[in-house]
Amino acid sequence: MKKKRIASIAAAAVLLLPSLTALAACGSEKADVILKVYSWAEYIDEGDEGSYLYDIEGDEEAPPILDDFEAWYEETYGISVRVDYATFGTNEDMYNEIVLGNEYDLLCPSDYMIMKLAAEDRIVPYDESFFDPSIEENYYIRNVSPYIADVFENGTVTVTRDEQEETHTWSEYAAGYMWGTTGFVYNPEHVDRADLEDLGWNAFTSEKYTNKITAKDNVRDTYFAALGLTYQDELLALDRTSGEYNHTLTEIFNRTSEEYTEDVGDTLLAMKKNIYGFETDTGKADMVSGKIWLNYAWSGDAVYALNEAEEDGLSLEYFVPEAGSNLWFDGWVLTKGVEERGTKHAAQAFVNYMSMPESAKRNSYFIGYTSVIAGENAEMLEFLRDDLEYGEAEGDDEDFYDLSWFFGTDAHLYADEEQRTSRQLFAQFPPADVMERCAVMNYFDADTSERINELWSHVKAETLDAWAIAVLCIAVAAVILFIVYAKFGAKIDLFRAKPKKGYELVKQDRMQ
Amino acid sequence: MSTTVLILIIFGAALLLGAGALLAYRLVRGHMPHFTRKALGIPYAVFLIFFVIAPMLVILVYAFTDRNMHFSFANFVKFFSDPTKLSTIAYSIVIALITTAVCLLIAFPVAYILARSKMKKKYVILMLFVLPMWINFVLRINAIRELFNWIGLLGEANYFNTVFGMVYDFLPFMILPIYTTLMKIEESLYEASADLGAGAFTTFFRVTLPLSVPGVVSGVTMVFLPSMTNYVVSDMLGNSMVTIIGKFISEYFASDWHMGSMVALVLLIVVFVSTLLTGGFKSEENVRGANL
Repeated sequence: MKKKRIASIAAAAVLLLPSLTALAACGSEKADVILKVYSWAEYIDEGDEGSYLYDIEGDEEAPPILDDFEAWYEETYGISVRVDYATFGTNEDMYNEIVLGNEYDLLCPSDYMIMKLAAEDRIVPYDESFFDPSIEENYYIRNVSPYIADVFENGTVTVTRDEQEETHTWSEYAAGYMWGTTGFVYNPEHVDRADLEDLGWNAFTSEKYTNKITAKDNVRDTYFAALGLTYQDELLALDRTSGEYNHTLTEIFNRTSEEYTEDVGDTLLAMKKNIYGFETDTGKADMVSGKIWLNYAWSGDAVYALNEAEEDGLSLEYFVPEAGSNLWFDGWVLTKGVEERGTKHAAQAFVNYMSMPESAKRNSYFIGYTSVIAGENAEMLEFLRDDLEYGEAEGDDEDFYDLSWFFGTDAHLYADEEQRTSRQLFAQFPPADVMERCAVMNYFDADTSERINELWSHVKAETLDAWAIAVLCIAVAAVILFIVYAKFGAKIDLFRAKPKKGYELVKQDRMQ
Repeated sequence: MSTTVLILIIFGAALLLGAGALLAYRLVRGHMPHFTRKALGIPYAVFLIFFVIAPMLVILVYAFTDRNMHFSFANFVKFFSDPTKLSTIAYSIVIALITTAVCLLIAFPVAYILARSKMKKKYVILMLFVLPMWINFVLRINAIRELFNWIGLLGEANYFNTVFGMVYDFLPFMILPIYTTLMKIEESLYEASADLGAGAFTTFFRVTLPLSVPGVVSGVTMVFLPSMTNYVVSDMLGNSMVTIIGKFISEYFASDWHMGSMVALVLLIVVFVSTLLTGGFKSEENVRGANL
């Protein structure tokens, strides 16, 4: 017995030891600045196998990019920095943490969450010097794709500060990181591309794909899909040549007011009847296992699924509905108080470091998403061509794939038809005409959010008929009455007949 | 990491403060304070205040306030006037009831056979039933998901899958208490029953079953309550097509803490009522036998 106790104490000591030494280590490792970054899980180059340095450059050390940033920052500015890197799973989790007062310096939320944070005055603009391309270390402004810069420049948000409303552009508050579209990953063995093109968003309700298609288990993405489905005819009828085309399209994909929610709600219910399920991260595995044929996905995840399936000898493809789809992005934003904490310089340098073409390649390679970085001399095009081998520098005219819209300068490569229309290249960098029909979905204000969440809960959960609910309420009342009776019934005279005159209530004490 | 350090510092400070207080007491009074047994309860009281009572109060406050933290009954009204929410509670209760019933149907015979058998190594078999509990639950549900996928059940019968997953997950919680109470029944009771001329059937219904009620009650409580809220099972095995009340709470807490708190509060009341229901049987010692 005693031996056992000693053993358990020893075991506990062994278990505690590493944490103690870790604690001691972190105390001794002094840094001038501690930069607290809060981003998505697995959303940055973590080094080792599967990293760009290891796989492409053959560097067996392959350190995580955070280590390289720390070294670079100290070398460049003479200030030592330590990055505290924390991760979140959803934008809403991150938002709640911020509202609760957790102090992070740099966040990486998605488009709508950036707008929400800005509108609520929880983030601060970048310094003006951050946008000066003549400074060598300003890698972000020097390398960002003109297309993305344009999107950020044209997007506006109304910021309420000290009860004053001001309009600002997204670019003041956010520096892009990754971007993409939403669409369908499909299995060409079961899904005919031409048929899918005809159906577009209707794939969700098509009998051909009953129980073979998934939607996202999050209200925004699936609501977006339902908008596409509900207004597909209207979207297709829009005049593509009109200068107002994307503006009108964006308006349709932001129909969240009361007059539309009923129709969209009906669509969502129809979708639910036909789909295999709502998923958050099982879609990729279910595609590979063949359980489903179509998976509504973000393009970054689509690339990942395509790569994974390839390893299993399965060729999956990606498709963006003709009627239009979602343009999404994640960007770096600076939290309020970053100046007071003295971390703004390091935070902006972090963004700049991540925007070096070399870093963009590393991050993009590691996570499979598309970086907003183009490179001053279109370095990212080489990455697509030479490292990822999506295409060639020379080729036949029919294989010509133009990406000038993204890189700003003349940029193209020659890729086979699969890559151009449905494989990784298409998923990562769709052609210009696809991008023209993509819209950013704005954030929902508090009232809209409440209404759409109610709608979502009605879609997700089953609703019983009124009579069933009535029966239920009666049953609950009966149960409660029964409990009350069982507990206190004996003490309440109501349940007991009063003795007749002249009789006494015989006490039952004598029993004992 | 800095949070860990902070927590350690707080704990250290509390310890030092306690030691300092003791020392001060000694210096002033000349002897160490006399501790009554009540004093030993102080740490528990502190724990309960911070980790049980305070959070519940926070939930209560959130449930009855609106976005601007003004007092409001709006969430209460909204909850009880929304057929979907009431239906979801009903679905959760039905799923939990079925899960509990199936668990009981499987667990009782297992516990009975194991408790009554003369096998030398029966604890090994018991261990085998309890063993899955040692493996992380998400991992097990994932494995079941793969299994169902392989059989072809996944996505075909979402409610069945959900109940199956719950039963699989909570079965040990039903077996263990029933087994323990059955083991406690003394052999002499069976002998007496046989002496009085009761057959195996009568003995089971008049002796074994009544005496095992406490185990059954605690097993039912341990299975029924979590299976109303364990939405990981319904998400993984029901493809998120089955919504139970726990899922509602999680979804609301992403965007609207006030409504989320209200749902949590309602669930708390449901749990309270069901505990009262099972506890109601337990306290009536004299009718225990007659009830079953």
